[in-house]
Amino acid sequence: MSATAETLDRLIKQDYKPGFVTELETDTLPPGLNEDVIRAISKKKNEPEFMLEWRLSAYRHWLTMMEPHWAFVEYAPVDYQAISYYSAPKTTDHPKSLDEVDPKLLETYNKLGIPLYEQEKLAGVAVDAVFDSVSVATTFKDKLAQAGVIFCSMSEAIEKHPDLVRQYLGSVVPAGDNFFAALNSAVFSDGSFVYIPKGVRCPMELSTYFRINAAKTGQFERTLIVADEGSYVSYLEGCTAPMRDENQLHAAVVELVALEGAQIKYSTVQNWYPGDEEGRGGIYNFVTKRGDCRGARSKISWTQVETGSAITWKYPSCILRGDDSVGEFYSVAVTNHRQQADTGTKMIHIGKNTKSTIISKGISAGRAQNSYRGLVKILKSAENARNYTQCDSLLIGDRCGAHTFPYIEVKQPSAQVEHEATTSKISEDQLFFCQQRGLSAEDAVSMIVNGFCKQVFKELPMEFAVEAQALLGISLEGSVG
Amino acid sequence: MSALSHSLYVDSYREPATNEPAWLSRLRRQALARFEASGFPSPRDEEWRYTHVAPIERKLFTAATGSADTDAAEALIESCRIADAWSLVFVDGMFVPELSERHGLPAGVTLESLASLLALSEADGNAAWLESGLERETESDRHGFLDFNTAFFTDGAVLRLEEGVALEKPVQLFFVSTRNDGRATLRNLIRIGRNAEARVVETHVGPPETGYLGTVVNQIEVADNGGLNHYKLQLDGGRAYHFGGSYARVARDGRFGHHLLSLGGLLVRNEVHARLGHAAQTEMNGVFLSENRQHVDNHIRVDHDEPHGSSRVSYRGILEDRSRGVFQGRIVVHADAQKTDAEMNNRNLLLSDDAEIDTKPQLEIHADDVKCAHGVTIGQLDPDSVFYLESRGIDAATAREMLTFAFAAEIVERFGPLRERLRGLLLARFPNAQ
Amino acid sequence: MNTLLRIENLHARVDGKAILKGIDLTVKPGEVHAIMGPNGSGKSTLSNVLAGRSGYEVTEGTVTYRGQNLLDQPPEQRAREGVFLAFQYPVEIPGVSNIYLLKAAYNAIRRHRGLNEVDALDFLKLVKEKTRMVDLDEQFLYRGVNEGFSGGEKKRNEILQMAILEPTLCILDETDSGLDIDALKVVANGVNALRSPERAFILVTHYQRLLDYIKPDHVHVLAHGRIVRSGDASLAHELERKGYGWIEAAAAGA
Repeated sequence: MSATAETLDRLIKQDYKPGFVTELETDTLPPGLNEDVIRAISKKKNEPEFMLEWRLSAYRHWLTMMEPHWAFVEYAPVDYQAISYYSAPKTTDHPKSLDEVDPKLLETYNKLGIPLYEQEKLAGVAVDAVFDSVSVATTFKDKLAQAGVIFCSMSEAIEKHPDLVRQYLGSVVPAGDNFFAALNSAVFSDGSFVYIPKGVRCPMELSTYFRINAAKTGQFERTLIVADEGSYVSYLEGCTAPMRDENQLHAAVVELVALEGAQIKYSTVQNWYPGDEEGRGGIYNFVTKRGDCRGARSKISWTQVETGSAITWKYPSCILRGDDSVGEFYSVAVTNHRQQADTGTKMIHIGKNTKSTIISKGISAGRAQNSYRGLVKILKSAENARNYTQCDSLLIGDRCGAHTFPYIEVKQPSAQVEHEATTSKISEDQLFFCQQRGLSAEDAVSMIVNGFCKQVFKELPMEFAVEAQALLGISLEGSVG
Repeated sequence: MSALSHSLYVDSYREPATNEPAWLSRLRRQALARFEASGFPSPRDEEWRYTHVAPIERKLFTAATGSADTDAAEALIESCRIADAWSLVFVDGMFVPELSERHGLPAGVTLESLASLLALSEADGNAAWLESGLERETESDRHGFLDFNTAFFTDGAVLRLEEGVALEKPVQLFFVSTRNDGRATLRNLIRIGRNAEARVVETHVGPPETGYLGTVVNQIEVADNGGLNHYKLQLDGGRAYHFGGSYARVARDGRFGHHLLSLGGLLVRNEVHARLGHAAQTEMNGVFLSENRQHVDNHIRVDHDEPHGSSRVSYRGILEDRSRGVFQGRIVVHADAQKTDAEMNNRNLLLSDDAEIDTKPQLEIHADDVKCAHGVTIGQLDPDSVFYLESRGIDAATAREMLTFAFAAEIVERFGPLRERLRGLLLARFPNAQ
Repeated sequence: MNTLLRIENLHARVDGKAILKGIDLTVKPGEVHAIMGPNGSGKSTLSNVLAGRSGYEVTEGTVTYRGQNLLDQPPEQRAREGVFLAFQYPVEIPGVSNIYLLKAAYNAIRRHRGLNEVDALDFLKLVKEKTRMVDLDEQFLYRGVNEGFSGGEKKRNEILQMAILEPTLCILDETDSGLDIDALKVVANGVNALRSPERAFILVTHYQRLLDYIKPDHVHVLAHGRIVRSGDASLAHELERKGYGWIEAAAAGA
């Protein structure tokens, strides 16, 4: 192995720190999936009839669908009857404040570096904490309510704001959109709901922290963010899970709706358990994320740092429906050991003068496979549409793979589409050059990796940039943000 | 739907002539069985996502019987004959020796019709290499057209160069179609020996108002340090269906150039695949031009199997009217292919409101010490350039034509020794650009 | 103390092939040594061996730098001890800004010497001053290391780094190759400005032209892995007149 690979191996082989389990009494449905299970989930959540009907029709549609296999990933078949579709800590029935939340749960979030109490005191970020199937706490609700912002768990939204939910749920990702989205629509248990009223700039960053804890369960959360005309919101999402030998399924759906002149910035730091060096265990992360720039001059921006999960299948997308709307996708995906990621985006240009930018950085080490798959589609109506795509891959070691699969479909002659891609490795020459200037090999690799990712890191909100830095195990140079 | 209609072709299968070797009958029957099971490719197949071949299935294009119409063919041939070249001519799938030119071939060169070699193969010792040549898997992306071709090919060209033979003149292979609703199914074998070199110009041509199906598969081997420049002139008539696939294996230090001018046909698929050995090189240059309701799909795959190989793929598309162009390129760098240097580039001009381009340039990389890049652009003619020419007194239509021709001609400039002659063919499409 | 660098009977191989076949060289503080020779004589190998590049195997001999065995130190330690190599082909590092590399390197060296890290403002002042000296626009500080630089800009960037890191032993590996006369003068001026009684230079060069601008104290001719002639600056002029042929012939015959 070359000096480069050794150095990077050392850097990447850090412990998976969120790998602990919280011992709790839980209310868990037995494994298996049928209409009764869906009725039971709906009943536990006191859902109105329309939700149950929606879930059942999604389930019936799902039964007719096949799991997709076009992605560049390989995994053992998932037994959908061996998974429990609902698991909740017993003590979470609608706590009115953090004081009513089970201290063990608060402790869990403290250990994960998300101290809910402190977050509540520092006027920085409002947090919704989702633990297995349910939301356990949402901070800053009152302060947000003063601005007219609704930020709560999806269960609560269905109860308290059924009209909004009915109007927007499934309007971006229809229940039968794809295999995993249909499954999610049938069984989703919780997630976050955000509504920003007309003309409101959300006064703080919103954030949801997803935690899988229970064994043999799947997590199927559903997030819906609606930004009404002229509003702005920045939303952050983090994810962790315990270390286990078995694979666990995470099939989430995220829907974003941006009305006229609205802006949504959605950032993810995904650190689900990736499995061990030999590829045992880890989360299957099969996620559908899509934003709809429904109004003119709206903007949706996805930023993701993906370091976790055994398998990632994820394409955060933008439907650029409104004229002059803008879609952005910034991604760093790191795979190591036996991880496999097939991730990218779709930019569907429908409105006139729509613009999209895609910056994707893939880093592959160990025996990992890292694929970029992206679709840029310019429909006939999208006069003067513009897309710029850049996807770069960095290879470390000689047993990993980096692949680039762009799809570009253009039906409008005034469109301008540019795509550039490069694949390279950290070269011995670069390392020696840095060492000759007095830097250690570790620092040199950090510096090069960081330089490679910089275009994406600068899109992350400050708090997440720090977390992303810790995740990559590299020291970021001074001025991120 | 397809299961029913492709069975028309299966039903039309006849056991070939009795003088065909038994191993070939076996290959044909195996291919037919696969074709019967899966039919022609469908858009559900990722590699055929943008190209629907249902119209071929709906019809039954029939093979010619009797003798070829050489009078009609002759004029077509003369319209695109390269001066000073050896040639083999196939009309409607049948070899026409009297139109072919083989005088003065040097020693160590075989240039012959496949059918006649097969008939003689037991006697003259060609059997072994013909069998291994034809039996060789077209490794990647096997699909219905390949099986169809194996089951139904009637003839084809064989070019074999022994070690060290460098052909001074190009070899032009003509595939002429003349019959409405006819099909021509051909299989060519090209084998370039060690240190040998050749230029082959594969030419497809037919009348403008005739609908026919041509499927031609080239199996190409380039031995150590050999070189082949393979030109493909796809000049079919506007109602023609064409599938052409070239499958090349290039050994150590070998060179394989593929130069495509795809100008004709209604529904066209041009495939070229190359597997590269140690320090082998490939350069693939293509221009595709489509108008009316043409659909042209260019499919490329390069496999770097061993270290130090290089590949350069540059394709340009010009889409007019209601036509649709497809570029699907895939460079695969396998785990042992360290120090690979690969580049793929596809640029497209969309010249009409109703034209469409779908492009998918892909890199699949399993080695780490490589330099790979790909790029795509889609756009229109630069309005500033058009205006600049107009301001010098050139009318807008001519200005656009000049710029479009220049866009395509940049690729033809890379065509190597035959570029001057091929430039003329391209220019015929842009009469005002001169 | 009066010797900075002592190379004795140095043999080295690259890919199993013997390139250096017994080099002896002594460099004192304040001296400028020019090492000349035809392509393939081992000049770049000598530079790379001194800087500690991997892939160069020392099979025999010793290199003593400030009384220490240089050869058993990793490259970054040599750099921190004051050995600077200006690369023949400076490396591009996309995304890492020039100024960031400089600051990281500068502080690594200061820490090694037990000094405090310098604060950002003071550092910027220092860098701007040196940037003017090598006639580089300040915008180069904020671009990726050598990313998209012209050949001449890369070489000036090497001199800039040398000026900031203030090494004790500067090895310039064909820094003059590929430069036009104006860029050559900038490089030469940079070197001349850095000459001091404590600092020594080894100028590895293929062309005599550099020595019109930097006057060496000693000139050595390398051929077939050995130093075959040593002399003062006049030896360079002799080579200019006669070429390398006679030296090579003499070396081959020896």
